[in-house]
Amino acid sequence: MKIKVKCFSQVKYALGENEIILEMETGSTTLGLEKIIREKADGKLDGVSLRVAVNQQYQSEETILTDGDEVAFIPPVQGG
Amino acid sequence: MEDRSLIITPKELNDRKTELTVIDVRPKEQRKEFPIEGLDAVLSENGVEINGQKVLVCQFGIVTEGMIIENELADTFSLLGGAQAWDEFYREQKDLSRWSRQTVLPEIGIEGQKKLLGGKVAIVGVGGLGCPAAQALLTAGIGYLHLIDGDNVSLSNLHRQPLYSPDDVDKKKVKVAKEKLAELSAETSIHITDTFLDEENADVFLADADVIIDATDNIKTRQLMDQISKRKNIPMVYGGLFRFEGQVAILNANGSPGYSELFPEPPSGGDTCEDAGVLGMLPGIIGNIQALEAVKLIVGINPNLVGKLLIYDGMNHSTEIIEI
Repeated sequence: MKIKVKCFSQVKYALGENEIILEMETGSTTLGLEKIIREKADGKLDGVSLRVAVNQQYQSEETILTDGDEVAFIPPVQGG
Repeated sequence: MEDRSLIITPKELNDRKTELTVIDVRPKEQRKEFPIEGLDAVLSENGVEINGQKVLVCQFGIVTEGMIIENELADTFSLLGGAQAWDEFYREQKDLSRWSRQTVLPEIGIEGQKKLLGGKVAIVGVGGLGCPAAQALLTAGIGYLHLIDGDNVSLSNLHRQPLYSPDDVDKKKVKVAKEKLAELSAETSIHITDTFLDEENADVFLADADVIIDATDNIKTRQLMDQISKRKNIPMVYGGLFRFEGQVAILNANGSPGYSELFPEPPSGGDTCEDAGVLGMLPGIIGNIQALEAVKLIVGINPNLVGKLLIYDGMNHSTEIIEI
């Protein structure tokens, strides 16, 4: 199944992309996807906490993904 | 359009009503909503020939400005805010005409403007986000602003904090901000606190606000504000920045999620603007969105960002709204 990953702030800079499409096994979860993203970031997201949203809805627990889902990884930002 | 010589406010008209002829240019169906009481207005549809100075009145003061310019009418004023502003002035002795371009919006109207004039907003942090938020809220007619920041102006602040100039470097931000904002409007009462928000003072400093603007540059202070906001049931408009991106959410509005639900403890990562870098326009955009959401909260306008996180990307101008 195909999953679209939308990248924000540090995730975008770590991966160098606004969004990427990943091919994943049926039954894959948000936690599994986060591991893949962190591996792709090659250490640049170490120590960065990430929240995950599936199809524009925050997920507080591990969620099973389905084909065509849009997943966003959102780090906290400071600014000001 | 805003040639001052064309414009007369309700208060000015009231002071000069014996020397000016008032002409109501509205179609019949508009006259019922805002009757022009207290003025001896003639109807333009009856065909009038007037010598001397005259005042044209339409519903909101926009049509008449156009009429005067297009027809190059001499000795003619447009009533700022039109019959809507006159009606409020006549009944309540309040001249709200300076906000006529926003009271014309049905979502605001005179009642919304009165809510803004009675609204109290605390802004924590008068930096990149706080400067534009304060400016926007003040010019919108917020009645009371409380600016809280213990910082001094630095040269590296100036590119994104437009209330400060090179002469202000090393001065207390809140004092300079108050002086600059007071020049823009005397309609807002500006209270300043030149210390940083901390656990000792936060309860007191935030107690009197209807809305808290989170314009701080660090997560620790944001978490403290979140606790107070939740405990006191005062909504908090969160704003954050990272390079070309900004985030905005309304938190703790009648039990809606707070920062601790948005980013559960302990959040890690997230550089400040000083560390990560930022173009001045980004805090300008995000601070103005925070002010917009504060206005919606005070007036009671839906939809808004209660329970939602807005992410704005200034690089490709995309927005994402996520249900928290």
